[in-house]
Amino acid sequence: MDVSKLKQISDRSYDVALAKQNALEKAKSRLLVAHDGHLFQADAETINLIKNLSEDRQEFVILDVNDNPALIKDATTFLDLLKSKNQEALNSYHQTYQQLSKIR
Amino acid sequence: MKKGVLVFCFNTEFYRYDKIAAKTIPLIKKNLGLPVTVITNYDTFKLLPPLGWVDYRLIENQTGNMINGKPWHNLDRHRAYELSPYDKTLLVDIDYFCYTGNLQTLFDSDHEIMLHDKVYDLTGKGSYDFRNNSAIPMVWATLVYFKKCEYSRAVFEMVRYVKEHYPYFCNLYRIDFGNFRNDYAFAIALQQLNGLTSFPVIPTKLATLPASAKVKSADEQRLIWEMEDKFGVVDTDVHVIDKGVAYV
Repeated sequence: MDVSKLKQISDRSYDVALAKQNALEKAKSRLLVAHDGHLFQADAETINLIKNLSEDRQEFVILDVNDNPALIKDATTFLDLLKSKNQEALNSYHQTYQQLSKIR
Repeated sequence: MKKGVLVFCFNTEFYRYDKIAAKTIPLIKKNLGLPVTVITNYDTFKLLPPLGWVDYRLIENQTGNMINGKPWHNLDRHRAYELSPYDKTLLVDIDYFCYTGNLQTLFDSDHEIMLHDKVYDLTGKGSYDFRNNSAIPMVWATLVYFKKCEYSRAVFEMVRYVKEHYPYFCNLYRIDFGNFRNDYAFAIALQQLNGLTSFPVIPTKLATLPASAKVKSADEQRLIWEMEDKFGVVDTDVHVIDKGVAYV
């Protein structure tokens, strides 16, 4: 295989990697949710924390994205919001990722 | 509570910001669904195309600042607080292309004022590493979310104060850029008013296309850029530095 072909493959790999990175950043920017005046990331950590704490208590306090304490009174509604936002963003990322994976 | 978007738009002898506004304001209206107020001057206002229901406020903008040897009309940003007709305002750079409704989330937060402190270069070149250019971490004044309240008013007052004594603050914080930058003025104001401690920020990264990425087209759905024979497509919110975007 000549060098120009190798460079072509390298360039294409870079372009795909950049497109995937941009799609991931786009997904992350969609994970931001507001609840009761606080901002949260609808990421795996927040979802797991809410799910875990809500198993044995009605109300609890967690930290928002700016480390302010937030009292969660209705964990079920909040968890639904986080999960739907999380899946909305990640489904979209998944579709883009699948398309990009076919390019190589 | 009245919510809305505020933009500043002043043409210079080199750049037609009215043409950029013609692309970005419809995107803001469509994707954020919020009223828009444009702060402009009479010369720029005369050139703005009809943009539907938009509130215009004409001011005489301050001049004298430069960037890369060209005029840069960015000296009135501290007036956003007094000029905004909204209780909750998103102050947006005129070259910010709003392709999603993500920023609506900010209006549901209780924070008084927030800006980005992280940027993301969509070209993958990591063009915006200013860690060694000052003794204070920079924030990005591209988007400023604020509520009308005593604290936010104080921040804008402090930005004005920093602007009026900019050489002193540049020296104090060892800022490499000699021209006035709102990014540093807000960083200084927020740090000072928070008693030199940290402050709340917009917890996402500001997606940006640097000047080296030339915009080839920008429509209602997406923007296409080119750099070093490579092309990219953007369909998320993005700050576009290439002023050639006015003519695509």
